[in-house]
Amino acid sequence: MDRIIEQLPRFFTSGNMTLLLESAGLTLAMTLVGCLIGFFLAFVLVYLRQTPGLWALPLRLICISYVEVFRRIPFLVVIYLVLFFIQTISTDASLFTIAVIAICIYSIAYTADIIRGGLESVPHTQIEAAQTMNLSRLRTTVTIVLPQAWPVIVPPAIAFAVSFIKDTALVSQIGVFELTFRGKELNNQGYSGILVFGTIAMCYFLISFPLSMLGQYLEKRLATPRGERRARKIRRA
Amino acid sequence: MNYKFQYGIVWENFGALLEGAWLTFQLGVLAFAGGLLIGLVGASIKSFAPQPFRFLVDSYVVFITNTPALIQIYFLYFGLPEIGIRWSSEACVLIGLILNAGAYLTLILRAGFLSVRRPELEAGITIGMSVLQQIRYIVVPHIAKSIYPAVANFFIVILVMGTSIGAVIGVDELTGTAINLSTINYRWLEYFSVIAVMYVVLTFVASIGLALFGRWAFRVKARIF
Repeated sequence: MDRIIEQLPRFFTSGNMTLLLESAGLTLAMTLVGCLIGFFLAFVLVYLRQTPGLWALPLRLICISYVEVFRRIPFLVVIYLVLFFIQTISTDASLFTIAVIAICIYSIAYTADIIRGGLESVPHTQIEAAQTMNLSRLRTTVTIVLPQAWPVIVPPAIAFAVSFIKDTALVSQIGVFELTFRGKELNNQGYSGILVFGTIAMCYFLISFPLSMLGQYLEKRLATPRGERRARKIRRA
Repeated sequence: MNYKFQYGIVWENFGALLEGAWLTFQLGVLAFAGGLLIGLVGASIKSFAPQPFRFLVDSYVVFITNTPALIQIYFLYFGLPEIGIRWSSEACVLIGLILNAGAYLTLILRAGFLSVRRPELEAGITIGMSVLQQIRYIVVPHIAKSIYPAVANFFIVILVMGTSIGAVIGVDELTGTAINLSTINYRWLEYFSVIAVMYVVLTFVASIGLALFGRWAFRVKARIF
């Protein structure tokens, strides 16, 4: 205990704090880039998964098994697989790229299910109406299904991204300079573990808590079912 | 890409990997069981207890769910020895995971508690049910039906995401064993692709078991895929 108090002024120097800020930025950037790319690729995956017809069966099977398999493999294993697989292809990929690719692969599997749920929540009559008007499948998805599916997709997708900020702590294992890695480094420099990891935990908390509040707010904001709103309007008139 | 896959060395050490998988399973089950206990207590307090207790549970849940499990385990493993608490790495992982699972399961179970409606309990009293009968025939089926899929899914998360964190501080579960073995002969890709398949098989077995159990015990149709 005395050791912690004695270390306090040495630990909370501006140098250490800038380091922590930098690595917090890196954590955020990594998650943001990875989850955004993953989000778009998940759209592609879901779109391919919903391809109709018998000839597309293998394609559908691949998409389904991708989601099923990567949901069941630990993130740490994915990180190591990506790291060593990429190093067999090119030796000069940066660790940040590798981390982002791992995050991508993982977030595709999780967001694909969220997006599929959203797309399937749109009443099928809408799609049939679009088919009657001879719109192509891509156009139907983009102009008719997606605008109605947004409120269902966005809140859980944000919740996933926010919770994933915490899981990116595992990326420290391959040596990306993010928050957890900094924590380990500071601990190795001789600062007390309670102090260092307490501070790092607070950093994660300060990032994650406001964002999860934002997610909950959005959920409440968007969750008002549209049908209900419309019905109320009609009754009033 | 000029990399030759050599799986021979993996099969030679397959026994060690199986032992690792067994430890993973044990850790997952223990962490889940402990978390379920904390979750039950936490959700009951959140639902029925007076204010100061509810605030305590709330802050526990908010703090745990907003910090990484890895940092919590680091705190237990590297931080606590300074105040004289020394746990083995297995114990640290287990305790960290139990605390983690407890927070998440509090949230899930609380949602289940909310799904029991008062009129149904009153209906139970009207036809002369005792408290135990009410719990057996009204409360448990309701809670089970509404949260069983979420709980079963969470078990998979703990089994996979949770226990693999142990590898970081040197627990010899599946990932840890693979790391140890591949640092000997640098067959990382082979070892990790094999344990990835093992994780998939392990979780599929767990999913199917949970789905069957749910159907048998609570008549819930839990999804496997």
